[in-house]
Amino acid sequence: MRKFDYYQPKDFAEAFELLLLPDKVVMPLAGATDIIPLARDGHIQPDVVVDIKSLPGMREIKATEKGLLVGAAVRMNEIASSPLVREHATVLAEGAATVGHVQVRNRATLGGNMCTASPAGDTFPALLVLEAEVLIRGVEGERSVPVLEFFKGPRRTALHKGELVVGVLLPKLDGAQGHYTKLSRRKVADLTLVGVAALAIPSEAGYVWRLALGAVAPTPVRVPAAEQILSQGYAAAAIEQAAVAAHAACSPIDDIRSSAEYRREMVVNITKRAIGKVIEKLP
Amino acid sequence: MLHEITFTVNNDPYTIAVQSQQTLLKVLREQLGLTGTKIGCENGECGACTVLFDGEPVNSCLVLAAEADGHEIETVEGMSIGGDLHPLQKAFIEHNAVQCGFCTPGMLMSAKSLLIHNPQPNELEIREALAGNLCRCTGYVRIIEAIQDVAQNG
Amino acid sequence: MAEHTNNPVGKSVPRVDAFDKVTGAAKYVDDMQFGPGLYYGKLVHSPYAHALIKGVDVSKALALPGVKAVVTGEDTPGRIGLYMKDRYIYARGRVRYVGEPVAGVVAITEELAEEAAKLVAVEYEELEPVFDPYEAAQPEAPVLHPKMAEYQWPPFIFPEPGTNVSEHFKLRKGDVEAAWPKCAAIVEQTFRLPQIQHVPLETHVAISRWDETGAVTLWSPSQSPFAQRDLLAQSLGISHGDMRVISPYVGGGFGGKAGISIEANVVVMARAVKGHPVKVQMTREEEFVCTNVRQSLYAHTKIGCDAQGKVLAMETQYYFGGGGYNDYGVNIARASGYSCTGPYLIPNIKGDSRSVYTNTPIGSAMRGFGMPEIHWGIEQIMDRLAEKIGMDPAEFRRQNCVRTGEEILTGMKMPPVDLVACIDKATEAIGWGQKKPASAPEKKRGQGLAIMWKAPAMPPNPGSSAIVRFNEDATLNVYVGAQELGQGAFTVAAQMAAQALGIPYEWVRVSANPVDTKYSPYEWQTVASRITWAMGNSVKAAAEEARQKILDVVAEYWDEDPENLDIKDGVVISYQSEREQSLKNMVIYGLPNDNYEGWQGGPIVGTGKFMPTYITGLDKETGQGTRSVAHYSVGCQAIDLEVDTATGQVDILKIASAYDVGKAINPDLVLTQIEGGAVHGMSSAFEGMFFDAKGRLKNPSLVDYKIATAMDAPHEIHGDIIETPLDDGPWGARGVGEHVMVQTAPAIANALYNALGVRFDDLPLSSEKIYLALHAQETGEK
Repeated sequence: MRKFDYYQPKDFAEAFELLLLPDKVVMPLAGATDIIPLARDGHIQPDVVVDIKSLPGMREIKATEKGLLVGAAVRMNEIASSPLVREHATVLAEGAATVGHVQVRNRATLGGNMCTASPAGDTFPALLVLEAEVLIRGVEGERSVPVLEFFKGPRRTALHKGELVVGVLLPKLDGAQGHYTKLSRRKVADLTLVGVAALAIPSEAGYVWRLALGAVAPTPVRVPAAEQILSQGYAAAAIEQAAVAAHAACSPIDDIRSSAEYRREMVVNITKRAIGKVIEKLP
Repeated sequence: MLHEITFTVNNDPYTIAVQSQQTLLKVLREQLGLTGTKIGCENGECGACTVLFDGEPVNSCLVLAAEADGHEIETVEGMSIGGDLHPLQKAFIEHNAVQCGFCTPGMLMSAKSLLIHNPQPNELEIREALAGNLCRCTGYVRIIEAIQDVAQNG
Repeated sequence: MAEHTNNPVGKSVPRVDAFDKVTGAAKYVDDMQFGPGLYYGKLVHSPYAHALIKGVDVSKALALPGVKAVVTGEDTPGRIGLYMKDRYIYARGRVRYVGEPVAGVVAITEELAEEAAKLVAVEYEELEPVFDPYEAAQPEAPVLHPKMAEYQWPPFIFPEPGTNVSEHFKLRKGDVEAAWPKCAAIVEQTFRLPQIQHVPLETHVAISRWDETGAVTLWSPSQSPFAQRDLLAQSLGISHGDMRVISPYVGGGFGGKAGISIEANVVVMARAVKGHPVKVQMTREEEFVCTNVRQSLYAHTKIGCDAQGKVLAMETQYYFGGGGYNDYGVNIARASGYSCTGPYLIPNIKGDSRSVYTNTPIGSAMRGFGMPEIHWGIEQIMDRLAEKIGMDPAEFRRQNCVRTGEEILTGMKMPPVDLVACIDKATEAIGWGQKKPASAPEKKRGQGLAIMWKAPAMPPNPGSSAIVRFNEDATLNVYVGAQELGQGAFTVAAQMAAQALGIPYEWVRVSANPVDTKYSPYEWQTVASRITWAMGNSVKAAAEEARQKILDVVAEYWDEDPENLDIKDGVVISYQSEREQSLKNMVIYGLPNDNYEGWQGGPIVGTGKFMPTYITGLDKETGQGTRSVAHYSVGCQAIDLEVDTATGQVDILKIASAYDVGKAINPDLVLTQIEGGAVHGMSSAFEGMFFDAKGRLKNPSLVDYKIATAMDAPHEIHGDIIETPLDDGPWGARGVGEHVMVQTAPAIANALYNALGVRFDDLPLSSEKIYLALHAQETGEK
């Protein structure tokens, strides 16, 4: 592997100083599950990597008044098994549990996954239906963006140079039930062909539904048309219509893993499955 | 750049110098001579390099050695300290869960961690825990049986 | 040594290699230490599938400080190859696949070698490539090896210089044209299989040192240390006595580490930096393109049967896509020619099996050696014929499968096997004909089966040898040159030695790790499922010789007839005088005369060899010969599966296998082969190497080349062992290591048809392919 320098800053000031080193390719590193293989193959050529997972608060999961705060360096297995996440955001726990395999989930972090911004990221549809706020910190201070605006395209995000994702805020959704369903070539330890997150939030009239798709467009997408249909009632016909709406909302590609045609068809069937699973969970 | 790291490997303390870009896998094998941990893909896909990092299985090919500073690492060589085989090692022998043997150290690491976290796993849980450890020889049958045996009989 | 397991043949004694492997003590090549004098090599690969090399400039690479040498085709004027000597160790003049080694860089570190490899400038002139084996065999195809006529090949290979056909095997029996009108049902179909890879967990790695004295050493994980020695000695002009190959445990072979691959490249690198060992390790990505793969196949097959279900005729064309160099592959096409019918007795046959040069990675041996490829089509056609005439597919196979003593396609008499028993066992275990309900409304369940045969595909005279040597306490060291790939070769060697000598299994130590051509007795190659049989015979012979030597010494000592003596539990006993003599000490020191006036005997060593001496050639035009192969092993697999019709995902619920192994030397190890093979076979049905239009592999990593995980493996795997003794097998044994995956893919295809009513002619299968086919069928029906 090509040489680079590794730093583990103790505080944000030191981290930002490193991240803004002039004339250097500097990359933040959390779980390293993407950076190491990419660097090994020469796809990225960092001069400096900055290990940000020990920065204050990065590994915390805590309930706040605004909602559940999940630090950017919280690992996938921690999310999947966290009682707090399972209680407040089951759908995110389910998404995290489908990432790679045990060993990868013990290293890969939520923030790292988000900053890699692969269209197939397994936590993204969940973050979309939860309407997470992405907490960003830079040398100039903190800001937050709605998760839907965070993903700009394959491997592109709303982050500016020198900024770090420090966590996500998952707003309180009392009584909400969600589910993430993933389809891949192999049963496990594989990249996602279609990922669907569905969420039903109790309302006065019944349930407000949210639906998001992963891996079938340049970024994860919400499907407002499907959400409207389901929010008016989720009988069999409505589920069918919602799945058709999801089909219309996706724009998958052909690649080595699958044809666009199959992905589109699977958006329909996996959407139905995800909705069905949520309905099973409703009281 | 060089880092001086202090960590424990199989409960023994080490202070060594490592380069920033060196992976834990290479350092274990080349600097510490612990060659039980195998190189299979260096891409986190095969699990042959699985070690326990603070008790959790990780792909040592996806860990920088510098990240191990201050942490506890366990490799297959640490399973039978003192000469007594770990129950899992005994079960792997008894069930013929070993063929070419190249995946075996990583399998044992994943299995050990599983039984620590979940002493009575069902078959599906065992299979899930091994999903990151590829084996081309055994078809996984005997590996699963060996782990079930240890879970049931200790 | 408290335990005494006597007569261990047929008992499931523990593996001799397991302890080392569970403790991490087992050494593989990459684990060997060479100290600071070790250099690292990196190969420069061709980026083109087919091109002329116009020039190679190594100056920039050589100028890099720390770079010790760069070798190219200039350094390797001699061609190399196990069967067809068709390639240069480094390409000269022309490259024939993406990944072909063009140069090798040696440097003091791996990183530096990698950097320098990028600085080797090669000028190419692109040529038109051809990838499909059928297209490559047509007259208008670009010819990859214009100088084929100059190559060397053994007399049993029939290449067609001027074309891309490196081997054309013809099988002619009876009169197919006259038979077709008598058929009540005929199925004719084209089948295609992609190249696939072995994916051993250990990638290829080799270390070589070339001493100033001329002694050359190669450390490699090899199924063929002796064959590698022979090929290197021949190609590089080294005396066999000076060429030493050392091969410790192999981290998965499956045929991929048979013959020779990157090892020769590394030896040539070492020659350039004499005195320094040079190490080259394939990355997983290189492993896919720069080592061996299984050939692709285009098969066009027509089979017909009469109204009673008797198969009358078969006409088949096999075109194996052998890759840029066909070396080993020519014998795969040959083996697939002389076994072209699969395990069926068919009176009229016209078979043509060709190995064809294509601009893809080198197709070579992979577990089953042509048989998984041809059974894919045969076993689906047999199912379709059974359906057409309204017969149960299992019954159809019972009726038509080969039986002991019958004259098979080549004119050879079928050696003893009981395939009907295999069919009975596998169908019984799967609950044949009692289709169970699917687990969910959107799922469909199906059963399928397939049968197989395979002979050890080898040259006519591959040899094996063994040595046994006693220690003072009557423990015994067994020396073999066979390799332990995980199949249990060392364990069965120990069992056979103990059995033949009459000593407990616990007394035997296997001295074969590493296999070292300087010290190990000769073994042709650990391939073709031949080791239990061939090595076994040599171990048995060595142990029997040692036994006879012991009996002779004791008989003289007791003044008895050796015929009346035996060895039981490590003690010589006399049936005549009921005297006993422990083997301890006497096997080294001999026995003293009365009053210690002199001694008799001395250190006991036994040697043994085995080579089949009865294999005949096959006629070039008809493929006929009295004994084409040593024997066949046969088996049946039955599969129960379920398909999710909403996604096309397949859940393999159960695989039941039954194989006739002659005699199971270690029954549990046979079962572990059956289990592992079933999953390998299942996985292989979903594997494929996919190339772009330029011949570049699109999935050269485990990210996109998926093999089965523990989650994908069948819920249940059942194995049955049939034992119909082989006349020349040790205790009747023959091999089974490859057979266990030969027919898994077509058994799955037949089960998919049973579940869905959809046939799949081409591999690989995938959820997508299954879903889309099912969907197309449903749409069509509407």
